[in-house]
Amino acid sequence: MDWLFRSDFDGITTAALWSIAAVLATTLILFAYTIALRVATILGQRRRARFIGIWRNVFANAMLSKDAAENCVLPRIGASDRTDLLEEWNHARSIVEGSAADNLIVLARRAGVPALALKRLNKRRIRPQILAVQTFGHLRDRERREIVRRLVDHDNTALSITAAVALVEIDADFAIPIIVPMIEKRRDWPKNRVSILLRMAGSERISEPMYRAIRSADDRNTTYLLQFAQLVDAEVLDALVNDLLRSSNDPGVLNAALKLVSGFSGVPRIAALTQHNAWFVRMQSAKVLGRIGQEEHLSLLEALLDDREWWVRYRAAQAITALPFLGPNHLRQMRDEQTDPYAADILQQAFAEVGLA
Amino acid sequence: MTLQDIVLSGQWVFLAYFVGINVGYLLQNVVAAFGIRRYLQTAEQYEAESVFSSLDIPISVVVPAFNESASIITSVKAMLQLEYPQYELIVVNDGSTDDTLEKLVEEFRMQAFPEAYRARVPCAEVRGIYKSTRQSNLRVVDKVNGGSKADASNAGINVARYPLVCVVDADSVLQPDALRRVVQPYLENPTTVAVGGTVRISNGCTVRQGFLEKVALPSNYLALVQVVEYLRAFLFGRMGWSPINGLLIISGAFGLFHKETLVEAGGYNPDAVGEDMELVLRLHRLMKAKRQPYRITFVPDPVCWTDAPTSLRDLKSQRVRWQHGLGQALALNKSLITNARGGAVSWVAIPFYLVFELFGPIVEVAGYLFIIICALMGWIAWPQAGIFLGLAIGLGILLSTSAIMLEELSFHMYPRFRQLALLYLIAIVENFGFRQLTAFWRLQGLIRWFRGGKHKWETLTRSANLADETKPAGPVN
Repeated sequence: MDWLFRSDFDGITTAALWSIAAVLATTLILFAYTIALRVATILGQRRRARFIGIWRNVFANAMLSKDAAENCVLPRIGASDRTDLLEEWNHARSIVEGSAADNLIVLARRAGVPALALKRLNKRRIRPQILAVQTFGHLRDRERREIVRRLVDHDNTALSITAAVALVEIDADFAIPIIVPMIEKRRDWPKNRVSILLRMAGSERISEPMYRAIRSADDRNTTYLLQFAQLVDAEVLDALVNDLLRSSNDPGVLNAALKLVSGFSGVPRIAALTQHNAWFVRMQSAKVLGRIGQEEHLSLLEALLDDREWWVRYRAAQAITALPFLGPNHLRQMRDEQTDPYAADILQQAFAEVGLA
Repeated sequence: MTLQDIVLSGQWVFLAYFVGINVGYLLQNVVAAFGIRRYLQTAEQYEAESVFSSLDIPISVVVPAFNESASIITSVKAMLQLEYPQYELIVVNDGSTDDTLEKLVEEFRMQAFPEAYRARVPCAEVRGIYKSTRQSNLRVVDKVNGGSKADASNAGINVARYPLVCVVDADSVLQPDALRRVVQPYLENPTTVAVGGTVRISNGCTVRQGFLEKVALPSNYLALVQVVEYLRAFLFGRMGWSPINGLLIISGAFGLFHKETLVEAGGYNPDAVGEDMELVLRLHRLMKAKRQPYRITFVPDPVCWTDAPTSLRDLKSQRVRWQHGLGQALALNKSLITNARGGAVSWVAIPFYLVFELFGPIVEVAGYLFIIICALMGWIAWPQAGIFLGLAIGLGILLSTSAIMLEELSFHMYPRFRQLALLYLIAIVENFGFRQLTAFWRLQGLIRWFRGGKHKWETLTRSANLADETKPAGPVN
């Protein structure tokens, strides 16, 4: 009677037997691979600890003295130490500037770092290529400028943004006119890295290209690019913000531009924006008026206290509290006179935040 | 139809289920392995130059707490030391009957604050909001007990001020750089609406000042099995679904959400048993209905450590609740199942969860009973049955081995050979007893869902490694 798993099952049983063999083999391979990984990790950590112990001293001496960088006896670099050397050198180079950086570059050239980086650039894997590009940047290697320039266009985000940063390090005057127009297209570039790159280049280099890029972009791209506009020169920024506040009616652009207002020149337009349809534009304009508003704007801010959006009410209340010409008694009187409970509540909160309640 | 016909048909059903679930898991494994490899390649590079900039998105961390008096101060102190440039911490005291609120008020010098509260997502009445005079980024919301973590989380969402909201369990131990890691998908892709991270088991680890000091394995067998289970669940369970935007669950212990999308979706459902999964399904539903591109994604980094149940009673309660929650969450969002434009969620992930995760326990338990009955009746051809049994166990071991390999490849949190050996031992042993037991419990959860049960705050017996800061909860090595 033992027919379960028997009738019509012979083929399947055979397949199951083969599957067991395959599963067993795969499990053993994975097991062996895991053990090998573990052994390699432990050996690698030990070797790296030895390497770091020796080379950190070499780097430290080179940073302090040009003579040491040029003449010190270099420790032997084994084949397995090469990636560690590149990583450690890049790490050391990324935390120093000025003469210490120059000395490290001298030391790197003596140690054959450029050749090691070049070899990694020809690998298929992305990680060695990133390390190579980073090295060229830190070496300020003008000979590799064109190679790095080409990699800025690479599809891989990490490689492409690393190349962009490296290009700025190698030749910022050459890099910025190329990179700034790319920012709106390369939305995959992490914004914090773009910000670092622009800061590295300096406001004097980026102001003009950024102004042009923003003024020629459509509304969507303008909003995106304005996130980086705080890095441009203050005068250029002021002109840019005023242009945008005057010429644009796109809520996204207005919102982004209002966040950058620093001067007083656009106050009438900002006051008018407290009536805008988009709540976040009303909110931003209230916030700005809290910083640069005058007595004539108080009624506009007061009108926002019963806005249907909480954030508008909140920013308006904070703005009123921040106005320099209103004393505590005036503020309390204003709160007590509010007929709208939302307005009274939000003023109460804003007062409590500054210890006025 | 004869008895023999019924039994023979049954064996084909079990075989089809067996092949389906294992092929599914193996495919997830392959996708996860590539996903983790790609993730590590870029993450490591970014890490080398990671600096905070003004473009990092501010985060509101919401910590729902109910009777957490023993650990709340340590937890809050640790969460106030997270490495992130701009975040606020909102502790929601959900009508605790112990002195959770009093301890917070005393330790952080909290003062009642007249905040203009707005209820954007539903929750029980808020009694008051307190602001710390010592920590400017700490507030406490005191509310009437709403009976669930979801209700408390919603109160936190209502007072959150920043664009991203991170909901964290009060007894979770966070990695200091957890926020920096989970925010990355938002920086890389602005259409991201939710991100989950890997949750690990903290039993056996040494926790000091609310931070993980030393990673070790627990001595308790049940906790040890859950270590391997969590490796499987997160390293290939979640990582396997994320690349196809088919992630259906973000652990309630740690999740980061785009606040406005969360509010638009209605926040957490206070009536849901598995509120974390129900929310993610609702987010999928909302975004599909809006026909907007979106990402619900997962970072494999271990960002959060949580205490696993160590007694059979607590473990059973947890598994029954999870299964109940799964059934309820899928039922509440059933329109996703029939959404022709639902993409990978509707066409792949939900069918897989329905067949293998939700109704799987029926097939599994029926299979065990089937074998027992057939064995008693003398109907089994033992050599052939042994082959299938061996294959089932072998595949179970293979999946665990693969998860351990992914862990070694990526984060190698268990650095000692003895720990590795123990994990492999568990990968084998868990197939005998533990799996069968959890299948029975999951079936009970399914039955509870059919009957419609009610859910309350879960109170597990904790190993109290947060309260007792220096004493490790019994590491084995």
